[in-house]
Amino acid sequence: MTNLPRETQPDSALEERVVSTLVAAGLVRRRRGWPVWAAAAAAVIVLAFGVTMFRPTHTLAQGKTYVVLLYEDSTYRPAPAGHDAERVAVLARWADSLDTVGKFERAGRLRGPGPLGGLFMIRAADDADAARIAASCPFTQWGGHIDVKRFER
Amino acid sequence: MTDELALVERFLRGRGEDAFRALYRAHTPALYALALRLAGGERAEAEDLVQESWVRALTALRTFRAQSALRSWLCGVLVNVHRGRIRADWRIVDAPDVEALADTTGRDDAIDLERAIAALPEGARDVYVLHDVHGYTHREIAELMGIVEGTSKSQLNRARSLLRSSLP
Repeated sequence: MTNLPRETQPDSALEERVVSTLVAAGLVRRRRGWPVWAAAAAAVIVLAFGVTMFRPTHTLAQGKTYVVLLYEDSTYRPAPAGHDAERVAVLARWADSLDTVGKFERAGRLRGPGPLGGLFMIRAADDADAARIAASCPFTQWGGHIDVKRFER
Repeated sequence: MTDELALVERFLRGRGEDAFRALYRAHTPALYALALRLAGGERAEAEDLVQESWVRALTALRTFRAQSALRSWLCGVLVNVHRGRIRADWRIVDAPDVEALADTTGRDDAIDLERAIAALPEGARDVYVLHDVHGYTHREIAELMGIVEGTSKSQLNRARSLLRSSLP
């Protein structure tokens, strides 16, 4: 056998790149204390495991739980190849902003036939508050539409 | 339970970042060495191969069976990723890059050999790297690459012959 080294140390930046990719794909969980938007990014980007859930980092505000449904209908413009992560980051920042005021519960990507592509579970004082929060979701800048439903356990 | 299997079990329990980093640090130097050679010395391509291989590997990690060493299994994943990328890449060369070989000015024999390996045609290079550098058998190579053992052997002979004629 040729006597060449069988191990080569890659650039240390590769480890961070690989970990970030795996977290974004939902294959690795970040250590505790990681910002909730990263967890949201992981949950939203995962396509292979049905609905992927994660927990908020702040105490939930008083109120009721609502589901914000994201529809990728015929008006929806998919991200160009290689730009999914940018959209995920935008949605994740929105989730993060809700989390800081205790209004974010969970998020996930939905698989299966039909245009329903994902959801956010939020905490709102009442229907009007839920509608106001849903209207602030950046999802519709790419087309599609949003629906809000009260969630009863 | 081996340390290796314990690491895998630990990771699968919670898919935690720390457990993954332990796996990454244990096996990535071998994966990267293999990727670098399969990619003809292209660092960026080798890094992409390693990254994609970890994604594939973690997706399928539950299918890993302890009968084979984890490193061999991971290297198999990487070879398959590499093969997939070749099929998707129109820039397949089937002759050694003579200019690249002529440009070999290093004094170190190992560096000369690395450069010569990088200039081999894809198929011959893959087999040579797996067999002569990383110690795979022809049977294992045939399974990994989806070829028959005879093809593996002939590609190895071809690679060795090209290397002999290109090295001083």
